[in-house]
Amino acid sequence: MFKNEEMEINMGPQHPSTHGVLRLKLKLDGEVVTQCRPVIGYLHRGVEKICENKTFFQGQVWTDRMDYTSAVANNLGWAEAVEKLFGVTVPRRAQYIRTMLTEFNRLASHLIWLATHALDIGAMTVFLYTFREREAILDLFEAFCGARLTTTAFRIGGLREDLPPGFEKMVRTFLARFPDCIEEYESLLTENRIWKKRTIGIGKLSAEDAIAMGVTGPVLRAAGVAYDIRKAFPYAAYAEMDFEIPTRTEADTYARYQVRLAEMRQSTRIIQQCLDGLPEGPVMAKLPKVLRSEVNEVYHPTECPKGELGYYLVGEKGSTNPYRFHVRAPGFINLQALPMMVKGSLVADVIATIGTLDVVLGEIDR
Amino acid sequence: MGMMNQPTALEHVLITTKVEKIINWSRATSVWPMTFGLACCAIEMMAAGAARFDFDRFGSGIFRASPRQSDLMIVAGTVTYKMAPIIKQLYDQMPEPKWVIALGSCATAGGPFDSYHTIQGVDKVVPVDIYIPGCPPRPESLIYGFLKLQDKIMTSSMADRYKEIFEAVG
Amino acid sequence: MANDESPYVYDLAGAPNHQVVMPKTVPLPSLKTYLEEQAAAVAADEAKWAKAQADFEAAKAKAEADGKDAPKPPVRAVPRPDTNDMKFPAPAPATDPDLLYLQSVLGAKVEEAFQQAGELTCQVDKSAILEILTLCRDDRALGYEMLADETATHYPAAKDFAFAVVYHLTSIRRCKRLRLRILVPEGFEPESAVAVYPTANWLEREIWDMLGIRFQNHPDMTRILCPEDWEGHPLRKEYPTLGLGQRDIDFREDRSGVLMRIAMEKAGNLGINIKPPKAE
Repeated sequence: MFKNEEMEINMGPQHPSTHGVLRLKLKLDGEVVTQCRPVIGYLHRGVEKICENKTFFQGQVWTDRMDYTSAVANNLGWAEAVEKLFGVTVPRRAQYIRTMLTEFNRLASHLIWLATHALDIGAMTVFLYTFREREAILDLFEAFCGARLTTTAFRIGGLREDLPPGFEKMVRTFLARFPDCIEEYESLLTENRIWKKRTIGIGKLSAEDAIAMGVTGPVLRAAGVAYDIRKAFPYAAYAEMDFEIPTRTEADTYARYQVRLAEMRQSTRIIQQCLDGLPEGPVMAKLPKVLRSEVNEVYHPTECPKGELGYYLVGEKGSTNPYRFHVRAPGFINLQALPMMVKGSLVADVIATIGTLDVVLGEIDR
Repeated sequence: MGMMNQPTALEHVLITTKVEKIINWSRATSVWPMTFGLACCAIEMMAAGAARFDFDRFGSGIFRASPRQSDLMIVAGTVTYKMAPIIKQLYDQMPEPKWVIALGSCATAGGPFDSYHTIQGVDKVVPVDIYIPGCPPRPESLIYGFLKLQDKIMTSSMADRYKEIFEAVG
Repeated sequence: MANDESPYVYDLAGAPNHQVVMPKTVPLPSLKTYLEEQAAAVAADEAKWAKAQADFEAAKAKAEADGKDAPKPPVRAVPRPDTNDMKFPAPAPATDPDLLYLQSVLGAKVEEAFQQAGELTCQVDKSAILEILTLCRDDRALGYEMLADETATHYPAAKDFAFAVVYHLTSIRRCKRLRLRILVPEGFEPESAVAVYPTANWLEREIWDMLGIRFQNHPDMTRILCPEDWEGHPLRKEYPTLGLGQRDIDFREDRSGVLMRIAMEKAGNLGINIKPPKAE
């Protein structure tokens, strides 16, 4: 009497979760997902091709717009990759300031993650609270480099100028206030019955599956693998910083939530150390006005808030532009694991899982 | 008729105006936007809707997910070739009267992405009422553009609007 | 359009992204070519100095014969010391134990192994790539559990090959990275790495989309970033940055929605009863 058919629906490129233009083709048996196929490319802007026409100095501008929630981390990756290609030594003071700003960006990115993740699941208050803190961080970025979101904060060889006067005071005021704010978010969500029911046991990804799929970042750390590029392959000033890598073993959405909150606490620790131990000195290395490369290729991985962000650059002899520019985007690789994570779960859990993977379509599609 | 400059007793308790003005006022002060964040400008749109640059005070804080329930499409971000038919379909699904704001340089004219897959401006796909340049524009710019849209709605005439539509349909 | 009185001159035709510049060199980092170039540069410098001295001797003899003063002797140019905080990382022969281990186990399959800028590079035989990836993942001494990245570059100026496909492997346990490289001629289909590292699924789809290299035994060899009916492979050097005119379509003139529907069906956007694309 009743026909039992599989329904194929489209969770189209425009949907209320503000993760961007991601399209999921879901095969449903009732409400249970049997197959999920992500379709991407709706924000493919050809950044890799564009950067082949731009010089090494200019290319940084397009890196902001890839993972737009953590522009400073993208800029750091680009600056360090080009510096590795040319063998540039960056002054220590510049390294410390870069580290401090990148950690601020980690906070900003995790705040957006918390806002949108909670908003998707239904907790709307958290969005307003986290954006209040995020505005304070964006004020800091604006004081340093003039832009809130797409910062282009760094230069090849260091920084354009030193910290503005009053910056330290702004940072200290923020650091004094921020740990209480994390407590506030925890008080809203961590012991919340609804939050726990929506996130515990959802979107499991075991450590073996994660490593096989190349997933990095908080998703891997919530599965028990203590892999953080800041500790494994230190760059900038991270070798001199004292911080921990938070891990969990449950590998579900709740574990990832806890890992990211713990990471926010560790970031404040790093910023404190950067500020207290800021060395004196120049902020810019001596470089020629025109950078012409030799034949070289580098792959420079950094720990972006979402995972491993790698920049691959190939230099041509005598050219001011990169011959090939490729970005290993953490969102691109992490999203591949989505079909595995949502198989057999409900449609509402698909939303929670996309939120917990923390994907930004700008870097996936480039 | 008599002395039109002095308010009569009735005008202390009654406002008379044209129907069009009332309708325009109600449309302008309760524009419901559709969530259409494509790229980086979406984050600034969210920041405009958050606590510091409160977008709700203009009557348009409710971002509707469905185009069928919204008046305004804020195209925030880069329009690509793969996305363009979808933008057109969403625009067609919105009921009249509808307006479009092109937020950011990418929606205005392609932005910094002059490449093979980027449409140079959303006005090649849908008609745009307000262009807001910037990369990304500050939330204050979005609010300024939105107030200009409110002015445009207040001064628009229903007869003109329907004439446009009848001419377009042919 | 700007006229002559306008202070702004828009020379769009000369803009970099309006040109298609085919590269004339092959910037493939390699120890052999680096050493050859260094030797050639040193030899050229020596030859120039010898020629300058010979010219001087000849001119001196001529001046003495004519009774004029002898010309100034040539001075060897000393290279100016570089005051920049920049030192190009030159490739060095392989000393790292991983590279030596690979060379000893694989023998002739390793075409070249060197270190540059703190990174290990190993160029291997393209037909043995699956075997080598399996070795890197499963061997206890190597233990590269994760494929961080797989990408490719187009070298149109090269003679024996057209692309270089690069694999970046990471060992989490040992905190080490390795780069494997294969040189692929046009039309050659390498083995897909999906059997060893499932990460490679989308990475290889992207390489197919952007560069046109197909991989054998890949579960789903379709375009991922560009629409499925896209023509051309954008990251090839002969593909113009502005594209082949696909982006200049005006979607507004579509009154009844016919054009839009056709475009959406072609781009696979309707999401219903998708037929798999025909194999090429």
